Amino acid sequence: MAKKKEVLEETTVETVETPEKEEQLALDDERRIKVLSPSMLVWKRFIRNKLAIVGSIFIIAMFVFAFIGGIVSPYGESEVFRKYTDLTKDYAGITQNTELRYSDLSATDFPSIAKAKFVMAINKGEENFKSDDGSSYTIETIGEKGEESYAIFREGTLVSIASKLIYDAVEEGYVPTLDFRYAAEKAKAAGEENFTADGETYKLAKVEDDDVIFDSKGNELIYISDFIVNPIGDSEFIPVEQKAALKEAIEKNEEKITYDGVDYKIKRENLQWLVKSGQEAYVIDTYSSPSKAHWLGTDGNGMDVLTRLMYGGRVSLLIGFIVVAIETIIGVILGGISGYFSGWVDNIIMRIVDIFNCIPTTPLIIILGAMMDAMRVDPTLRMIYLMITLGVLSWPGTARLVRGQILSLREQEFMTATEATGISVSRRIFKHLVPNVIPQLIVICTMGLGDVIITESTLSFLGLGVKFPFASWGNIINAVSNVYVMTNYLFVWIPAGFCILITVLGFNFIGDGLRDAFDPKMKR
Amino acid sequence: MADKKDLSYLSAKESRRITKENRKITKEYEKQISRKDVPESEYLTKMHNDKNILEIDNLHTYFFTDQGVVRSVDGVSFDVPRGATIGVVGESGCGKSVTSLSVMRLLQRPIGQIVDGEIRFKVDDDKAYDIAKMPIAEMQHIRGKKISMIFQEPMTTLNPVFKIGRQLDEVFELHDKETKAEDRRAKSIELLEMVGIANAEGVYDMYPHELSGGMRQRVVIAMALACQPKLIIADEPTTALDVTIQAQILDIFRQLKEKINSSIMLITHDLGVIAEMADFVVVMYAGRIVEKGTLEDIFLHPAHPYTIGLMDSKPSVNKDVDRLYSIPGKVPNPINMPDYCYFRDRCEKCLDKCDGEYPPLIKISDTHYVACYRSEDKEVKE
Amino acid sequence: MAAPKIDRSFTPIEHSEENILEVNALKKYFPIQDGILKHTVGYVKAVDGVTFNIKRGTTMGLVGESGCGKTTTGRTILRLTDGKTSGQVLFNGQEIYDLSAKEIRALRPKMQIIFQDPYSSLSPRMPVSEIIGEAVREHGIVPKEEFDDYIEGIMSDCGLMSYHKDRYPHEFSGGQRQRICIARALALNPDFIVCDEPVSALDVSIQAQIINLLQDLQEKHNLTYLFISHDLSVVKHISDTIGVMYLGNLVEYGSRDDIFDSPAHPYTEALLSAIPVPDPIVKTNRIVLEGSIPSPANPPEGCKFHTRCAKCMDKCKTEIPVQKEISPGHFVCCHLYDE
Repeated sequence: MAKKKEVLEETTVETVETPEKEEQLALDDERRIKVLSPSMLVWKRFIRNKLAIVGSIFIIAMFVFAFIGGIVSPYGESEVFRKYTDLTKDYAGITQNTELRYSDLSATDFPSIAKAKFVMAINKGEENFKSDDGSSYTIETIGEKGEESYAIFREGTLVSIASKLIYDAVEEGYVPTLDFRYAAEKAKAAGEENFTADGETYKLAKVEDDDVIFDSKGNELIYISDFIVNPIGDSEFIPVEQKAALKEAIEKNEEKITYDGVDYKIKRENLQWLVKSGQEAYVIDTYSSPSKAHWLGTDGNGMDVLTRLMYGGRVSLLIGFIVVAIETIIGVILGGISGYFSGWVDNIIMRIVDIFNCIPTTPLIIILGAMMDAMRVDPTLRMIYLMITLGVLSWPGTARLVRGQILSLREQEFMTATEATGISVSRRIFKHLVPNVIPQLIVICTMGLGDVIITESTLSFLGLGVKFPFASWGNIINAVSNVYVMTNYLFVWIPAGFCILITVLGFNFIGDGLRDAFDPKMKR
Repeated sequence: MADKKDLSYLSAKESRRITKENRKITKEYEKQISRKDVPESEYLTKMHNDKNILEIDNLHTYFFTDQGVVRSVDGVSFDVPRGATIGVVGESGCGKSVTSLSVMRLLQRPIGQIVDGEIRFKVDDDKAYDIAKMPIAEMQHIRGKKISMIFQEPMTTLNPVFKIGRQLDEVFELHDKETKAEDRRAKSIELLEMVGIANAEGVYDMYPHELSGGMRQRVVIAMALACQPKLIIADEPTTALDVTIQAQILDIFRQLKEKINSSIMLITHDLGVIAEMADFVVVMYAGRIVEKGTLEDIFLHPAHPYTIGLMDSKPSVNKDVDRLYSIPGKVPNPINMPDYCYFRDRCEKCLDKCDGEYPPLIKISDTHYVACYRSEDKEVKE
Repeated sequence: MAAPKIDRSFTPIEHSEENILEVNALKKYFPIQDGILKHTVGYVKAVDGVTFNIKRGTTMGLVGESGCGKTTTGRTILRLTDGKTSGQVLFNGQEIYDLSAKEIRALRPKMQIIFQDPYSSLSPRMPVSEIIGEAVREHGIVPKEEFDDYIEGIMSDCGLMSYHKDRYPHEFSGGQRQRICIARALALNPDFIVCDEPVSALDVSIQAQIINLLQDLQEKHNLTYLFISHDLSVVKHISDTIGVMYLGNLVEYGSRDDIFDSPAHPYTEALLSAIPVPDPIVKTNRIVLEGSIPSPANPPEGCKFHTRCAKCMDKCKTEIPVQKEISPGHFVCCHLYDE
């Protein structure tokens, strides 16, 4: 450029009246010096502010994180994760029976007091005893000494069998009758293979050391043993085969068996054995620590924290923008009218602004939130209401700024000039005034974004803002309301807090940078 | 806007290059300026002429702006003799204010830097400093105490929330902590009386906004005089004032000149003010001196076409002309200046020689210098 | 402070065809409001009874110190303030304050204004061509197809280049901005222009250019100017008649020669002597006025100038002087000429 000009100068020196003369720029011709275009000027001043750059990076990162991250993330916003866990659960207690156990006809027929007399009788070796109510009982001893069982009759009726043997039904819920037991005991003691009870014929046979009763069709009906296997936990039925396996293990002094694919641990305590099952359970994966699958772990609902953060960012940013848009639209219109027309219009609008400034925003929003809770408002609808409420409550600031700006611009001579040249009112407002307010407007909108995000987070934190299933940074932080979570699961709430911090800081930095950039008096 | 290819706008690339270069250069200067514990010997110097209080020698002050390097002051040399008033005239952007700010070292940093030259200032009878080389921290002892400055807008100099008296007292306190409060008050009132404020005691207890523009400017002058500086720089002291008030202020200046033993460097664009006040005149154009000499030299025998044009373009009450002479064009923006007379394009008396390099300062009498080829034949050889 | 009674008594004047503008006993008071209810506690008497005429194709200069009401006068006669307090403003014989909003808009192009501060008088976010052409389009002064040529023509008349069209005001120097302001006014093809200190903010060499431009345009378009300035030398150069204002009053009004060769009012004399002369040999016998201009909200009783007047008499402190014609076309408002 400089070289070219020199050449031009030389030619003009030699031939004064050539057409090139027109091309040569005089020293005071402003085309001689290139200047910065207005947009470049603003840009230059903006990038000179280091913090503004940092803020921009923050915000861009946040946008990418929230809007693109949500798409890239393999998980859904409210996708709940489950996992299998090895649950060592107390499965069953096993006792080797050495006591007499009673199988009663009914509780009234052989009351406990009679049982005491019965014990006394057999200790004395008597065959008859009398209970206190005067009933007389007869004892029939079945089997050999040491393994005997007793049948107790009251005035000829079989009321109870006292035996050390345990009858385990193969089918769940089958309870053998007293007569059946009497017959079975007798048959066992006598070593008979068949017995009849209640008109049916049963077969008693040994299967691998166990005495088993078969019914007439040859089905296994009852296993007889001296082990009691009590399932721990509700309504769990332990099949006979499993019991047999456990018994075998106990007899062999084994500590571990595998039955039906499940590991059991057997632990002996005196004459009792505790069986623990190493069962695998399918549970919600709560508060899992950061891992490859979940970079920031999962939260209390078993959702991926990182994904929630992304979606939460979307919600927070979106709410920010919509609220600021609402407040700006209302603020510019009312502030503009107020500033331009002044007089009583201005007075009325400014008093409305005063009234709005008197409204205690936080309690009002809390009440509204509680109301919506009570009315069970749909979460989506709720979010929209929240945006509208926040927008409507925060326009006065914008209106004041716009009014102030327009009031000062109105006094500038270029506005007098528009009046002197007879330009219409609408053109004066929208072509001359509004464009000059835009820089300040952009600045406060940027700053406002940070405020709105803070407010929204606060409300969501209090459970009054964005509700489940929608994520928001505020309701993610809500986890800290539990002290245990706060101290032990930092990865759940720290990132959300960090996101809020970064975003609000970012918006404020950008706001500051823009303010400096738009200010023509800034010389730095 | 951006899609339009306008050649007069800098491209992003060019602008980036300029910014980068500027940052490199200014960083270097800033490092130099903000050094600590600089030995006095580094900026100790000797006056070339002992009668002078200030000698500006080949001063170059550049501004490293986004548009390029603005050579606001580009090789300016003049002396301020003791007790004399030097008038610096020129249009806006000619570098007259930058010259004064360079002397005060109040340039807007980091973009404004003294690049070259010496500003020799006689601090004591036997001591002289080169202000251009002084570290900025050392300047505190010079500013206000030895050199004080009066600005165009008095309201920006006075702090609106403090009373006049307090602001005046503060100046005394700053430079001499020993004095008692009553003494300071007496001194302040004395000063206010000196600048022609009739109700000095009353004004002492007033706030700046209670005073009219003229009164405020008087207070500012009083503040400038407070430490009996050796040099007062007055940058357009009357431009913001009405004619009648201007007359009052000029009157005060004239009286003060007799009372105090200070030199005054008066910067203005108003030739009338210069004619009334100055002993010596320096005419500046686009960062350079085009003509300098005594008051008579400049006003009675102006030699540079710019000086002549400037005088003719000012309508006067005393003479009638049908049409004012006007210098065509406007003051150039001192970026990328070529090496020929900067006034060439606006000059109606161009010679062939004017297309050559920038004319040197030609001595046409003992006191009168001019930078114009037209005066070459009048040159006085030493 | 009691609200002063607003004077509505003035003798209406007859329109004379040679005058483009006739101002009669014009007053403009701005209320000073105070308190929560904004009740009026007083008035700033910015313009307090000003009478003058301007003949077609001439220039009237209006001088005075800041705060004397010269700018308000200029704006009030263009109906750019909320309203006048009393008096008449006849533009081509038509009272402009009687016109409806629509009518006044239609009349706007005929009377224009150029401002002092070239920085605030241009819309910052509008390119030059739009600033100049906006009102031209709005009033339909030229057909659409001629619009571009017309704007370029006006711009070149005012010394602007066609490549300036798409630039924004901040890219221009003060002098060029003032040219844009002039172009904006001129584009509407006006008859009358109020020049409100158009050169005060400019450098000397640029001042001369603008003054010459204004004079050239006056010749070419047969314009009438009301030239408001505090600079007497400029006013002297450009004006045919001159009015000197002090605190809302026109203290002296006459032809240029009347004012400069035989100033009648002590204020005019002081003002003339205060001008610094760029000639080291001429030493004027300066009359230095004491003090500064009093507040127009609380002006002195009697002659408003008596507080600063060297020739003050007892009468001056109580009686308000009336305008007297001391020679044909030379009016003065001073008790010195009471006989």
